[in-house]
Amino acid sequence: MAATCVTVALLVAVCAPIYAQESVAVRAVMTKEPMPLDDPNAAVWSSAPQAQFPMSPQVHWQNRIQEVTVKDLKVRALNDGKQVAVLLEYADPTEDPADAAALEFMVGDTKAHFAHGQPMAQVEGGPVNIWFWRNKDGKGVDMSAKGFGTLKPQTHQDVTAKGAYANGTWKVVFSRPLTTDHPNEDTQLKPGEFINIAFAVWDGRKDAAGDLVEKGSQKAVSSWWYFRAEAPPDYSGYIYAVLAMGLALAFQFVLIRKLKKGQST
Amino acid sequence: MGSLTKPLILVVVIYLLLKFVVPNIPGSAPLPSSLIFLYLMLTVAGIVIYYTMSGESKDAFWGPIQRFLTGENIGALQTARYAVLILFPLLVGWQTYGSTAVSDAPPPENRTIHPAPPGEYTGLSNPVAKTPDNIMQGKGFYAAFCSPCHGGNFDGKGPAARGFNPPPANFSDPTTIAMLQESYLFWRIKKGGVGLPIEGMPWKSAMPRWEVELPDEWIWKIILGEYDGAHQSPRTWE
Repeated sequence: MAATCVTVALLVAVCAPIYAQESVAVRAVMTKEPMPLDDPNAAVWSSAPQAQFPMSPQVHWQNRIQEVTVKDLKVRALNDGKQVAVLLEYADPTEDPADAAALEFMVGDTKAHFAHGQPMAQVEGGPVNIWFWRNKDGKGVDMSAKGFGTLKPQTHQDVTAKGAYANGTWKVVFSRPLTTDHPNEDTQLKPGEFINIAFAVWDGRKDAAGDLVEKGSQKAVSSWWYFRAEAPPDYSGYIYAVLAMGLALAFQFVLIRKLKKGQST
Repeated sequence: MGSLTKPLILVVVIYLLLKFVVPNIPGSAPLPSSLIFLYLMLTVAGIVIYYTMSGESKDAFWGPIQRFLTGENIGALQTARYAVLILFPLLVGWQTYGSTAVSDAPPPENRTIHPAPPGEYTGLSNPVAKTPDNIMQGKGFYAAFCSPCHGGNFDGKGPAARGFNPPPANFSDPTTIAMLQESYLFWRIKKGGVGLPIEGMPWKSAMPRWEVELPDEWIWKIILGEYDGAHQSPRTWE
């Protein structure tokens, strides 16, 4: 038994750094504290597990870029049953007005390509919902796209965003109600259900000629990962297990009684 | 316990057959545990029916079970009995928890890495001659268009690869282009990730649709360069 415990402890110790390094899902854990909807530095963020995703230069379609500033993105998220807040954290050596970041979601059950929901040859795709923040705008923009060149802000804006820059690190928080009145354009977050999420970041630095290096499709991107707003803890599994154990005990009891009766006759 | 030995051995042998022998039959695959469980339940049901056909065999079958569960002065078996009586409900509870508790894992992804190509892309032969010149040109195009993801060493580890999931194919791995025909590569390069059928999960692939940027001839040359650079040969039908 002791040996097993040691083995398990060792396995956990060995695996933990691997999990910390690369993730497949962002978990927006439930919180009872006030939601840090526009506070990237709130203490409550430390209660949310951190996921980390590698970023690539966008080389999927024109115009491409071969090298980008942001190579890793740390993500935390919280929900309180009504609102969701997502915190992006990444290293960027300089604060620039054009620094920007975005979250992308599929809308509804229809699959959408991570590159702005561009058409797929053999699969009928859907639109994507993009939450965009740019330093100089100081707000979140709720956008839709279905194919290249179709990206535009929605007529109804449900997303807020706020960035805070310190010590070479951007922290940007996006927030929105879990559900909105526009299910055909906005992703809807049902607690307990996994949806797809992708990320994009632009370093707003300029080159020697004064032109933006990262702009438009020239950005750091990820492909699809998972996102889940965690539901309140569900103990029904334990209840069913206890019920099943009770039934098994009763079955044993009846069986032995029956067998004993059989013996005495 | 003698008469219980045979059925016990039978159950164990069937389990071992299903678990280790059946998956190794050519054309077969590992059986899901639920199916193995079903087969074992059928086996047990068959055994019970067989032993309860006549009064004699019924006593021979149930006698030892009855003694084990209710007999007195059976020595060490008494401890085993309590162990079984405690472990059985725990096992039932654990199984129930496992099948009803809310899963914490993202949905499983059974992505087909090399799905079937559309009919018009099967059996095409490379119209570009396999000359040193063409191979060199192909490698040049590869360096310009493919290597950012698939890597200068054809190993799928280009500088732009890290953020993409699924990762770019590693051509030096014998399970990628070495298993495919040139015709297949032509389709994948030309139509890109968005050309995949649903089982290939096209919405996740970062592979560009190169037909909008490169002429067919360049694509065929890239294929020559890829096989040569990765030290692989296209699959052929002997």
